[in-house]
Amino acid sequence: MAHAQKIVGRRAGDRVILGAVIFLAFLWVVPVLWVLILSFKANSELMLSTGSAFRLPYTLKNYADILASSGVFRWFFNSVVVASLNTLATLILASLAGYGFARTEFPFKNVIFVLVLLGLAIPEQAVIIARHQMFTDWKMHNTYLALILPGLSNAFGVFLMTQYFRSIPMDIDEAAMLDNASRFKIFWRVLLPLTIPAQATLGIFTFLACWNDYLWPLISATKPEMFTLTVGIASTQTNFAQSEGLGFLMAQAVFAGLPVFIVYLFFQRYIIQAVAGAAIR
Amino acid sequence: MSSIEIDRVSKRFGPVEVISELSLRIESGEFIAFLGASGCGKTTLLRMIAGLETINSGEIRIGGERVDHLPPGARGVAMVFQHYALYPHMTIYDNMAFGLRNIGAARPLIDQRVQQAAKILEIEPLLARKPGQLSGGQRQRVAIGRALVKDPKAFLFDEPLSNLDAALRVRTRVELARLHQQTRATTIFVTHDQVEAMTLAGRIVVMNNRKIEQIGTPMEIYGRPASEFVARFVGSPAMNFLPVSVAGQGGRALLALASGAQLQTNIALEDLPSGEPMRLGIRAEAIRLDSEGSLPGKVEVVERLGDRTHLHVRLADDSTLIAEDVGHSRAAPGDSVNLRIDPDQAHLFDAQGRGYRAAAEARS
Repeated sequence: MAHAQKIVGRRAGDRVILGAVIFLAFLWVVPVLWVLILSFKANSELMLSTGSAFRLPYTLKNYADILASSGVFRWFFNSVVVASLNTLATLILASLAGYGFARTEFPFKNVIFVLVLLGLAIPEQAVIIARHQMFTDWKMHNTYLALILPGLSNAFGVFLMTQYFRSIPMDIDEAAMLDNASRFKIFWRVLLPLTIPAQATLGIFTFLACWNDYLWPLISATKPEMFTLTVGIASTQTNFAQSEGLGFLMAQAVFAGLPVFIVYLFFQRYIIQAVAGAAIR
Repeated sequence: MSSIEIDRVSKRFGPVEVISELSLRIESGEFIAFLGASGCGKTTLLRMIAGLETINSGEIRIGGERVDHLPPGARGVAMVFQHYALYPHMTIYDNMAFGLRNIGAARPLIDQRVQQAAKILEIEPLLARKPGQLSGGQRQRVAIGRALVKDPKAFLFDEPLSNLDAALRVRTRVELARLHQQTRATTIFVTHDQVEAMTLAGRIVVMNNRKIEQIGTPMEIYGRPASEFVARFVGSPAMNFLPVSVAGQGGRALLALASGAQLQTNIALEDLPSGEPMRLGIRAEAIRLDSEGSLPGKVEVVERLGDRTHLHVRLADDSTLIAEDVGHSRAAPGDSVNLRIDPDQAHLFDAQGRGYRAAAEARS
């Protein structure tokens, strides 16, 4: 009897949680759908009332206008290059650093690790003038390198990978040592594949941050051919975009967000694994 | 297969010396167990042989060749870890083949060795799976298989059965014994479980407080413990200990128990230190119910084990001991009983825990 009551109680609890989850999902998805719907509406209609969003006709003109804009493919390409190379380089560096902190001994290791962690506490805005000056001195503005390099000092990435390497039992390394594997082979063939969930998480976060980054590309890339998508799209907006070009604005948001959405779809399995902490055990 | 020699090896972790001047020779083909409680140094010793811990002084030789300066992979040993340490992202086949690939073995040889080991361990159907898809027992077999394919000079087992449930542990124990009979491989088996050590090993090294307490065959360890620690650690139930005063009679020790009872032993008086407090050590099976017995007491607890019964008896001096009776014992809690101690199985321990026992010829 008590057992049955417990089951009923648990079911009720599950329903409450499920209801809360549905409610939160609804709160999240409504603005996304709103943006998507408005992007298919003509600007002139939306100027009169956004209430027309749920009425025919719908149009692809806003998307056509984006594609017709001369620089959009170039900006898209720039964003892909910058975000991809930044992500790739961050994964390589953070993995190597994480392995170093987790598995090797060297002088002042703990002090250096604390210094890396302190990097998490320093906002980008605090160093942006100095950084700008540095890249000016190096004559590197308006280059891919200038857009990529600052993102590589990723304290969060180093921290995440260090913790993940630490969570892998030392027995695995030792078994590989007894299997005649070199240090590089242990890193490359044995440990690195085990960190894929963490790599995926870090990869997505880095790609997203880089794709959405606005401040540094806005400062560093002054020539239109070096704009990233965020900066480029913003540059096409008129002063009255919020009132006169709402549909176009929404289409730009969808266009900029689509690649990120696709990347997330591809990697979401690893994110869930990493968050669940069940990756290698 | 090769012999292993450990010659005056010491190991320090910072200022703490965990192994001090330890020497030991393991013969080729021998199955030896390192037995001791947690922290006694047995796993450290095994890891030093494997090369996973450096040594601070001394020498380690495998097959006559000095190896203490070599990396783990170059020592020619294979190790089975307590938590299996399989590579989670590789298939079972790749787990087993990894070591051979690293030394550049030819593909047909790798395949032959893996298939052969898989057949011996009955894991052929599992070769395409990954470790996460296997049960604990299956993973343990794979870990053994990974060691087997390398055809090593010696096998090192670090508490390999401790993660298995009781039934599987017994079964795997028998399989390990069978495997050793097939391969006659030099094997070191680290365990804190005296039953594993007793049932598997040809010799047992009992370790305590980072030192070797005793080396001997299982029956030597059980029957002639060199110290009180060994006597307590090996055997279930643990040996009974009672304070006694020693007197001499015909050159043999005559023991007077606190309860007033006396026990004439065959332990040579001249072997014993004079003037030291001594303790009698006696195993449960050497104490029997006997109406003529000189040791009266009252039964407090009756433990029925099927083939035998353990009786916890409180003596007149308020000390307790465990006696053994037949499976269908008629003793019940509260019964007054008389006990008889077999003097030939009496052990004496001095204040330092050193053990004394009658020489074998003295008892015949």
